Amino acid sequence: MDFMKAIGIAASGLRAQSGRMRVISENIANADSEPKSAAAEPYRRKVPTFSQRLDRELDASVVDLGRVRRDATPFRTKHDPGNPAADARGEVRLPNVNLLVETVDMREAQRSYEANLNMISTARRMISRTIDILKA
Amino acid sequence: MPVADLPLVSMLRNRMQWNQTRQKVLAENVANANTPGFRARDLKAPAFRPDGSLAAALPAGFGITQTNPLHLAGSGAGSPTEERQRTRFDVVPSGNAVSLEDEMLKASENQADYQLAASLYQKSLQMLRTAVGR
Repeated sequence: MDFMKAIGIAASGLRAQSGRMRVISENIANADSEPKSAAAEPYRRKVPTFSQRLDRELDASVVDLGRVRRDATPFRTKHDPGNPAADARGEVRLPNVNLLVETVDMREAQRSYEANLNMISTARRMISRTIDILKA
Repeated sequence: MPVADLPLVSMLRNRMQWNQTRQKVLAENVANANTPGFRARDLKAPAFRPDGSLAAALPAGFGITQTNPLHLAGSGAGSPTEERQRTRFDVVPSGNAVSLEDEMLKASENQADYQLAASLYQKSLQMLRTAVGR
């Protein structure tokens, strides 16, 4: 039955988007994680990736949360000579997390999640309408 | 003649089957709304002959299609009603061309369509029941 397949596909979307939310919350939580020493790196921003996969059982392309990549942009620096992790010039490297970018990304994940939920409830209403034929 | 073969009933059944497949295709589009390089797809509306039979077979999914009459016919089910959406104007840099608003609109339209077909189906069954005197 195609409705069940539709629900299965939307469920893969829900899974992918919730995985994305997990990565985003990791980024936000670690937005100020400082390095342990001047030589060590601070937290590097993680980037979730999505990939399309043909599910043979459903005979449809579902979405998978692919490998979580690391953002290669340079770290922020702050002048703080008193910090134990400061280098010779008194600069401390901070994570390359931009809270604004993360918040916008989070909103997008939320919208996509809602869209997938909407598809599930639509398919469910269609199923219950089919069952109503029997009740008449 | 079985009841299921009446033109009205079989047309409605085909329509409902088409709505089901379309719902699946729309769910695929929404699930892949953030996948790089994914293009939204849709199904062509089924075409009926005047006697109520389908002009082309309903797609069971996205199978293989013969693009040249000289090619050997494959064993998989062809899907003449598949339609890949033309390039949209709002393709994001990752190459994704799914508009969630569009898909939501189509999904609710599909649902209303399906409900209409299901009510008509129910009514025609009631009509048949009246005809047999129950």
